[in-house]
Amino acid sequence: MKPNQAPAIQLGIRVASPLAIVVGVYLLFAGHNFPGGGFAAGLVFGAVAILRTIAGLQRPRGTTALIACGVLMVTVVSFLPILWGDPLLDQRVVTFDLPLLGTIKTGTALVFDIGVSIIVVGLVAAIINGLSASQPTQGAGQPTQGAPQ
Amino acid sequence: MSTLVVLTIAAPLVAAAGGLFWRGNTVARDAITICGLAVAMICAFVVLAEVNDSGTHVVHVGGWQPELGIVLVADLLAALILPVALAVIFVVEIFAIGQRRTVWGANPELSGPLLCVLTSGVSLAVLTGDLFTLFVAFELILVSSYVLLTNQGRPSQIRAGMTYVVMNLFASALFLFGVGFVYAATGTVNLALLTERIPELSDGVRIGLGAWFFVVFGTKAAVFPLFSWLPDSYPTAPTTITAVFAGLLTKIGIYAMIRFHTLTQMDDLGSTMLIIAGFTMVIGGLGALAQSDVKRILSFHIISQIGYMLMGLGLFTVAGIAGAIVFLIHNMPVKTVLFLVGGLIENDQGTSTLDRSGGVASRRPVLAVLFAIPALSLAGIPPFSGFVAKLAVIAAAIAEASVLIVVAALVAGALTLLSMAKIWLGVFWGPPASEITPVSVPRRYQKTMLGATGLAVCGILVISAMSGPLFDLCVRAAEDLKHPASYVSEVLS
Repeated sequence: MKPNQAPAIQLGIRVASPLAIVVGVYLLFAGHNFPGGGFAAGLVFGAVAILRTIAGLQRPRGTTALIACGVLMVTVVSFLPILWGDPLLDQRVVTFDLPLLGTIKTGTALVFDIGVSIIVVGLVAAIINGLSASQPTQGAGQPTQGAPQ
Repeated sequence: MSTLVVLTIAAPLVAAAGGLFWRGNTVARDAITICGLAVAMICAFVVLAEVNDSGTHVVHVGGWQPELGIVLVADLLAALILPVALAVIFVVEIFAIGQRRTVWGANPELSGPLLCVLTSGVSLAVLTGDLFTLFVAFELILVSSYVLLTNQGRPSQIRAGMTYVVMNLFASALFLFGVGFVYAATGTVNLALLTERIPELSDGVRIGLGAWFFVVFGTKAAVFPLFSWLPDSYPTAPTTITAVFAGLLTKIGIYAMIRFHTLTQMDDLGSTMLIIAGFTMVIGGLGALAQSDVKRILSFHIISQIGYMLMGLGLFTVAGIAGAIVFLIHNMPVKTVLFLVGGLIENDQGTSTLDRSGGVASRRPVLAVLFAIPALSLAGIPPFSGFVAKLAVIAAAIAEASVLIVVAALVAGALTLLSMAKIWLGVFWGPPASEITPVSVPRRYQKTMLGATGLAVCGILVISAMSGPLFDLCVRAAEDLKHPASYVSEVLS
């Protein structure tokens, strides 16, 4: 796949990317009680990665490490409670006051959600990497490539 | 105890993440994978011992009430299946560590971690106490299996993979709809609650739901006429992948069927199941006889064997269900070992086609022994586990006076023996094939692969030797399923 180098598209995507990331972060935090969540946020972040790849702005790298990181976060957060005798996937809720922002209520579930979104970004980026690779390349982020002969 | 149950799911997942981190470092990657799988397997054996002593153990995920949250239920059935399944995967991973160094091997950077994800899915599918989590577990298994199957990117794999993916995605969609229907009809997806609520539904709805899930699990288990995806796709994958798939994936489908259809008392579907079981057995056997490639013969056998398990279930008696469970336990390792030996033959001969190989018995007598034991067991020759399993299922059918299915089972047994003889004649006996090009495998790795296969054969012998106590356990598990009052009270308490 040849990147589309048209300046208008590149500029548009440059402008849109930070906005999309803000939307993604909103979805990530809103997801605890409202529609959204780690998966939806991950898809939005992933869309940014796809757009930037298509426009030729940058290529995602280290996607496999990203996926591994997410899986590790999710698993550890889900299974840590067992160590101190709480049920699996139990969450600790923390409430604290911050200047300007007021009272913040959050929990370990947030870490889980962030982990999920990291997995999704990694996966989406790996897919676009795999699709856009013109020939099998060595190294990270090529899960669809690489027959060992 | 809860920790042990959870570790069977968690340890492989952590190993998968670790394996991805250190995917460049062969030794670290393999060590992490093996450790994760070993921990899961040991936990599963301890869980079996505990459940055998002190009864069903229930884990409430997140501390939620069973009506609201997810429950993991380690009852006797789950505790029996889990260690066998995890031990099978463990042995295959040892084999794979050797095999990944050959050209036939799977892409080492991914197959290890993905196998771990698949293992985690298997544990979850076996332990889960509600339908939706079962769906998630199936997806976990299937998504990793899609990648494992097509990972090398050979044209034959992609072609067969298409059928596999399409069929399984379709079944998954049906599964999801089915979960929706169940929820609409009963207001819950928790199996313990369904045990009470589904029998109260009107006959039409109840049987409709049962038939729907029969189609769903039947597609995953490759019963007649939904098996077309299996014999084409399995032989194309690398040996280790095929071995895991053959040993586990279809069996998980049958396991889900045993759990769902007995707990919800779908006895009315019994006769349909028996008819389908008969066709599955005989057609699988005939299909195997018509093939001329070791892996394809073995793939058709998977289907034939599924028929026996379905037959045990279709009887809906304690003896029948116990027979199906014992068959399941016998079949998982046997099927896997046969595929592993198939892989070793492929390494030795450079091909797995019958008419281009020969004389393995004189060249590599060890291979012949490793093949003969599981093959005889599969055909149901005493004293191996296959004999006990087949006897249990057939005796249960005779007790119910279902003559036709008994005849079908015996015919299928003869067909199995015939096609095993065909492999034996083609590969092991006769003069060595004129031009063989063995795959060059360093001796160390060859020993690893042989050792893993030998270990699995020992496992089969252990199962055969312990088939008496094992069968008693299976009868107890079947009684629990047939009279689910204790299951329900344990989960809901």
